[in-house]
Amino acid sequence: MIAFTGRALFDLLLPPAARRTAGAVAVALAAALALIACVSEQPLRAWLILLTGPLPELRQGADGAWHWQRLVRFGTVLEDTINLTLLGLAVLIPFRARQFALGADGQLFLGALAGVAFGLAWPGPGWLALPLACCAAMLAGGLWGGAAGVLKWRCGANEMVVSLMLNLIAIECYRLAVSRWLRDPGAGFPATPFLPPAAVFDPLIAHTGVGWMLLAAPLAVLAVALLLGRTTLGYEIRVSGAAPAFARQAGLPVGRAIVMSMALGGALAGLAGFHVGHALLKRLPVDLAPGLGFEGLLVALLARHQPRAILGAALFYAWLRAGGQAMERSTDVAREIVLVLQALVIVLVMAERWPWRARGRHWLGRMRAPGGTSA
Amino acid sequence: MNADLLGWSGAAVLALLACLRAATPVLYAALGGLLSELGGKINVALEGLMLVAAFSGVIATIFAPPGLAPALLPWWGAGAALLAALLLAALLALLHLECRADLIVAGIALNLLAAGLTVFLLAELAGDKGSTARFATPALPSLPIGGLDGWPLLDLLLNGEAGRGHHVLVLGAPLLALGLWLFLAHTRPGAWLRAAGENPDAAHAAGIPVRRMQYLALLGSGLLAGLGGVYLSMGYLTLFQADMSAGRGFLALAAVFVGRRSLRGVCGAALLFGAAGVLATRLGALDVPPQLLTMVPPAITIAVLALPGWRRRTS
Repeated sequence: MIAFTGRALFDLLLPPAARRTAGAVAVALAAALALIACVSEQPLRAWLILLTGPLPELRQGADGAWHWQRLVRFGTVLEDTINLTLLGLAVLIPFRARQFALGADGQLFLGALAGVAFGLAWPGPGWLALPLACCAAMLAGGLWGGAAGVLKWRCGANEMVVSLMLNLIAIECYRLAVSRWLRDPGAGFPATPFLPPAAVFDPLIAHTGVGWMLLAAPLAVLAVALLLGRTTLGYEIRVSGAAPAFARQAGLPVGRAIVMSMALGGALAGLAGFHVGHALLKRLPVDLAPGLGFEGLLVALLARHQPRAILGAALFYAWLRAGGQAMERSTDVAREIVLVLQALVIVLVMAERWPWRARGRHWLGRMRAPGGTSA
Repeated sequence: MNADLLGWSGAAVLALLACLRAATPVLYAALGGLLSELGGKINVALEGLMLVAAFSGVIATIFAPPGLAPALLPWWGAGAALLAALLLAALLALLHLECRADLIVAGIALNLLAAGLTVFLLAELAGDKGSTARFATPALPSLPIGGLDGWPLLDLLLNGEAGRGHHVLVLGAPLLALGLWLFLAHTRPGAWLRAAGENPDAAHAAGIPVRRMQYLALLGSGLLAGLGGVYLSMGYLTLFQADMSAGRGFLALAAVFVGRRSLRGVCGAALLFGAAGVLATRLGALDVPPQLLTMVPPAITIAVLALPGWRRRTS
């Protein structure tokens, strides 16, 4: 009886899913240490920098006052956290309708493009230009995401392939627009002109892109949690994903739920694009690297499709990315190990059972059985 | 053989050859994708498999055992590349079939793993994050076909503009497609594999080793995508670059869907995508934006996926 309540309390404090996620992260971190040890002269130092590099330091200066050090690196953690939170949510919403939409990348590119194009074309006062540019970015991303949804709903086209193809088209559109129509002739490389100073966010931390968009991440998480948990549309999305046959039988508008889930996800990816364009870069280079959308997928998977866990998962990955950069700068280990680490975490989180573990439990059970202890 | 003398027909043959060369890696990966799809286990990790094979081939030739004869060096690299691709495919198969991980998610995770691991090991082993351009690495040999002096066009087609023959993997692609057709249509394991893909439960009830067929589909697709990767780094170019596969694996996946799971359709789609890539680079000299042509394969894919459903609904 006592054992039972102890177990229940343990489950309450640390639910099994969270335990497994934590275990997966721990195993992946250990694997990263092993991989670093294969290639590095000082593996432990590199590994510790990977984990603690982004931490800002409080140091006493020569004048006796205390200063925060390494705030810029911590700023990149916050910047990445905002991006990854928005992209994670962008992948999560269609996921809950069981739509494997991988279009966040293209939606981000189009969102950034629409936001910056608006900011350049309409130099109005900042308090009006910023929200309007934000709406333009979300609209562009939402329409692009909704397009994949409509193709799925009306034509039954496989949403994964369609969204991957829409990504390719969106990225080419972006490159075409930046290199042909929005190009700054004064720049030495193909890029748009800088946005007017009134139309960008002032940094909260000096020399970083951390601005008031910092609030967007928790607000978006809250909004998505409310949408999925407390609204009719959210209920329709969840039921269409969990039990499509039942939803159809009950007369729920499954098609509409699918399209809306993809459009809302697209709008959030567009918002991430707005953040990239207006808060981080302030101008758009033609060779903006694709691939961030897939990291949003990793965030959503690590959070096990729970909106409230997204922020933590995004922070964890942003932390690793900044730590990887710090490690690359001060040791002989390349930062791409972070990608390996992320993939390992996902593989470990996704595996539903381990054949050798089941076998081990089987042996353990046989050893215990003669003793007569009850399970 | 001078192409100018042959006029338009010669130019057409040359353009065809350029398309064939560009389409070869996509074709190999698409054949792999088709095999996995017919086995009912669509392999999303084609991109990562190509990347890992391209990387392992070049790295294996750089770190070859010292006593190896130079003529054997590319074959040693190709063997290592195929082994690496097979290992990654085996990891995917184990994760999905034994650990019950979602096939698509595991495939995407392996793509990321491949992208990260190749650049990480490139930086550590070759000392450069961009490419292995510092090292001279060999290509697999080309095979000239003799006795064609009387037929200039045929000679041009079969031996290329330099008259040195085609890369062995370019020649191998149609043969492999033929072999895959023979395997799928005319052998017992081929029929079993298709049955396991069509309806695993019925196949299992009929006594077909379904699990083994699923392994076969995934491992075979890894081997085929690996051949595409070998061609990229030991034929098309003779070095490894970071992100060398550049979306070809995803195009191959699209080709499987565009080809509607038929061997002929998949080959046609892969050739079409290769041709679009060649045109995009050729038209860079004109005023046509190359981006527009790069959009053609994805646009075709979307149209092919969407149109039949649309017709069914409206009629």
